[in-house]
Amino acid sequence: MTQFVDLAPPPARAEGAGRRPGPRGPVFVWANVVVLGWLTVAVGLLAAHQLLGLPGWVALHALLLGAATNAIVIWSEHFVVTLCRVPGPPPRRLALGLTALNLFVVTTIVGVTIDITALAGVGGTGVAAIAAVHTVHLLRLRKASLPGRFGYLIGFYAAASAALVAVAVLGAGLAIGAADWYARLWAAHVHLALLGWIGLSVLGTLFTLWPTTTGTRITAGGLKAARRALPTLTAGLLLAVGGMLTANVWVTVAGLACYAAGTVLVIVPLRPAGRISGPAAWMLAAATGWVAIAVLLDATRLVLAGSVDALPEIVGTVMPVLAVGFTAQVLVGALTQLLPVVLGRGPAEHKAVAGILARGWQLRTVAANVAVPLVAAGLPEPLPRIGWALAGLSAATFVTLALRVAVPVARRGALDLEPGPQPPRGTTTGVLAGLIVVVVATALATSGRNSPAPTTVSGAEHTVEVTLGGMRILPGTIDVPAGSRLVLRVTNQDAMVHDLRLDTGEHTPRLARGETALLDVGPVSGDRQAWCDVAGHRAAGMKLSIRVQGGHQHTPATPDSENGTAAVPGLDLAADPSPGWVPRDATLAPSTGTVHRIELRVGERDVEVAPGRRERRWTFGGTTPGPTLRGKVGDRFEITLVNDTAMGHGIDFHAGALAPDGPMRTLAPGERLVYRFTAQRAGAWLYHCSTMPMSQHIANGMYGAVIIDPPGLPAVDREYVLVGSQLYLGDPGSDSQVAKIRAGQPDGWMFNGTAAQYDHAPLVARTRERVRIWVVNAGPGDTTSFHVVGAQFDTLYKEGGWLLRPTDTAGGAQALDLAPAQGGFVELTFPEPGHYPFVDHDMRHAENGAHGSITVTEHP
Amino acid sequence: MIDIWTILRFLHVLGAIVWVGGQLTITVVVLPPVRRALAAADRADVLRAVGKRFAIITFTTFLPVQLTTGILLAGRHGVTWASLLQPGYGRMLATKLLLFAVVMAAASVHGVAQAKGQPGTARAASITALIGSLGVVLLATGLVEGSAS
Repeated sequence: MTQFVDLAPPPARAEGAGRRPGPRGPVFVWANVVVLGWLTVAVGLLAAHQLLGLPGWVALHALLLGAATNAIVIWSEHFVVTLCRVPGPPPRRLALGLTALNLFVVTTIVGVTIDITALAGVGGTGVAAIAAVHTVHLLRLRKASLPGRFGYLIGFYAAASAALVAVAVLGAGLAIGAADWYARLWAAHVHLALLGWIGLSVLGTLFTLWPTTTGTRITAGGLKAARRALPTLTAGLLLAVGGMLTANVWVTVAGLACYAAGTVLVIVPLRPAGRISGPAAWMLAAATGWVAIAVLLDATRLVLAGSVDALPEIVGTVMPVLAVGFTAQVLVGALTQLLPVVLGRGPAEHKAVAGILARGWQLRTVAANVAVPLVAAGLPEPLPRIGWALAGLSAATFVTLALRVAVPVARRGALDLEPGPQPPRGTTTGVLAGLIVVVVATALATSGRNSPAPTTVSGAEHTVEVTLGGMRILPGTIDVPAGSRLVLRVTNQDAMVHDLRLDTGEHTPRLARGETALLDVGPVSGDRQAWCDVAGHRAAGMKLSIRVQGGHQHTPATPDSENGTAAVPGLDLAADPSPGWVPRDATLAPSTGTVHRIELRVGERDVEVAPGRRERRWTFGGTTPGPTLRGKVGDRFEITLVNDTAMGHGIDFHAGALAPDGPMRTLAPGERLVYRFTAQRAGAWLYHCSTMPMSQHIANGMYGAVIIDPPGLPAVDREYVLVGSQLYLGDPGSDSQVAKIRAGQPDGWMFNGTAAQYDHAPLVARTRERVRIWVVNAGPGDTTSFHVVGAQFDTLYKEGGWLLRPTDTAGGAQALDLAPAQGGFVELTFPEPGHYPFVDHDMRHAENGAHGSITVTEHP
Repeated sequence: MIDIWTILRFLHVLGAIVWVGGQLTITVVVLPPVRRALAAADRADVLRAVGKRFAIITFTTFLPVQLTTGILLAGRHGVTWASLLQPGYGRMLATKLLLFAVVMAAASVHGVAQAKGQPGTARAASITALIGSLGVVLLATGLVEGSAS
């Protein structure tokens, strides 16, 4: 049983009379003009979003939520009414529904763009409500009448509308901010929108639209396939989305495979018998092909990645394929086929409209399809830019042609075919070809960085580390002196893709996990804002404020900073330690065993950096310095490093010699690494974080000591280890702290991570005891001159060599001098009971925290 | 100060004015009234004559002048083969030359299609050439800007 389908809209009701004696009356024509209007907005935003300082996804939502949603609503309604022979809604209700829908769509887009959650929420709820009403309406139609052979259409449209409800709900969730669930919700939102709402609507429509387009008949086999395809597609979509929400990669892949199978079920019965011809047929065929490719790509890459963590990145590739290759193309193809029926009265006018809409279609179709791999394949600039331009030009040409016929019909109710001769053939193709050539040339010509032009730097230059992750930008606020030049080093620590956009439009590329990009803010004269431009991330909290500190730029941080004694207000070394404070035990236990296994977890802790002063620090193993490791030459060390923080860290053990490439790499959040080395040489070695900028990582506590005993090291009565370092107050990585680190102006100096801690908890010894004190200078920048007041060293071991041994009875030593990352030990005996201060004999250091005391009591 | 380089630059710019302006004038000013006013046979004669004359001017005067002055000016500007690939001035100049080649190719397609009696293709090619020429002017303007900084 075969039949030709007449897609012409049914005659208008009485209300439409007077305006236009055409099919569905002016509402239907206007609705199509609105679709074209949204397409125009989408193309305009695509071209100008950077100039306007708007995120790129606004253009995408204008296409998907504006153009595609309007088109689906009006045409699904139309197909159901025409093919299932059910009564259509009165035009007034249609007009009201569409107006409300568009108001809600605008509200949603504006709300998310300007970051007013309430507005986004209202818009999203409105869209969901209208979609729900649409679903219920379709299902009631199915019950109320005998839809006959085309009843499957209602099923497709109802399923699609249900998907739209879910899309809106998830979208609202994203706008409100979903923290941990963000990646899952986002992936589900995107898939439900593209494969559910748009995909199901289009695939369902294809069974009738495709035969009409190719001038073939709708066969009974095709209709049977249509009824079979829907359950497969729906099941696939539900599985895939369920898999995404539960973070189950295999369920997701199975769902996507099932959806792909459903797509095949659609394509197989519709495969053309002969050569397909005409614009609509080619565009619909290509668009359907891209759906299949996108779904397979989605599933394959997910299998290869083996984790749903990769979804954000994969969606970043698949979404452009579905937006440009599928949605935009199917929209243009369907309108090319359907608009002549709406806009023309009678075969002559249909043909005239079709002729106009087909202008330059070969070139337009080629441009749109060439654009897809360019925008989606992750190619280097300027290729993606060229791709977007081609897609935009292709769509813009169609919109221009379509509006030229649709607007007169909508306004005057008649087609204006009379005035002026038709432009000769080839005009549209020529204009399009010329524009494409010029756009490609301009993009090529301006690609690459311009030859390094001298940049006038006014004021100081500040480079600030900015990390993206966990729906936050760290630091959230950057203070810069007015007029100084700011460069942001932006690193994405997250599994999902982020970028950073300034309010003036400059932005980093989309960064995958671990990628870093520089964003030059330039001279800062007023307060600025920046945010992540990925859909909804700004709403979820990824915002950054750059604040100008007016007039402070020439005021030194401290009044007497020129001689380095930076006495910061609030750092009171004589203050009492915080209640419950436990000093770092400086005692060094003898080494045991030959294999040393330890797990070091990188964390962030509030640490007592000076008496009564707690600050956030980055730690190895929860303390700063990290645990001291001790062994002998030839011992094996196996350190498991686990990064529990939200930013990248690494580790570098000076006690081992190995190629740094692998072991010293930066670990992304959550990653772990086993670091193996054999101690070949004795010494007091430093270990520290290996992630740039190391000055900050070391200054914020990421260091520790490894003691490898020299062969034949005699036993002593007591052994202590002291790791010297500088103290920089302030939030780790904050602009003020970084400025001090860069300037080498610490707020204090300390042994074992707390300034003056052994003034409050002195080390102990007894007379006649031999005491060995190991010292390692962790830096990040200053030297250490270790001295014990009132005592002399009879043994001095520095950097792998004995400078003085007890047998050298004639001479003694007063200080162990260590540059950053050097280490050694001294041995001494105390002549009599008393309180022996130990200091870094750079007195600026000693007076600002590098100071402690040894209480010596009489040996019994 | 006017020296030999000013004259060369003047000739180069003049050539571009004649070529792009000529195309624009023919397409926008001459063709529409001709199409309206003349009968099909006369129209074809006029257009063929205009096309032929423009082609002769192009090949005898425009191309030689543009190429000579262009090469001399590039030499004066210190452009080398290697620098043509570098981002910035070199790449923009190279792209301009490529675009110019495309324009010439399109103009040739126009001639061939016209001769073979394919008005659609001919028109598409001529419009491509026209818009492409405007693109060449755009890139040239960018070059002047680039050289100034």
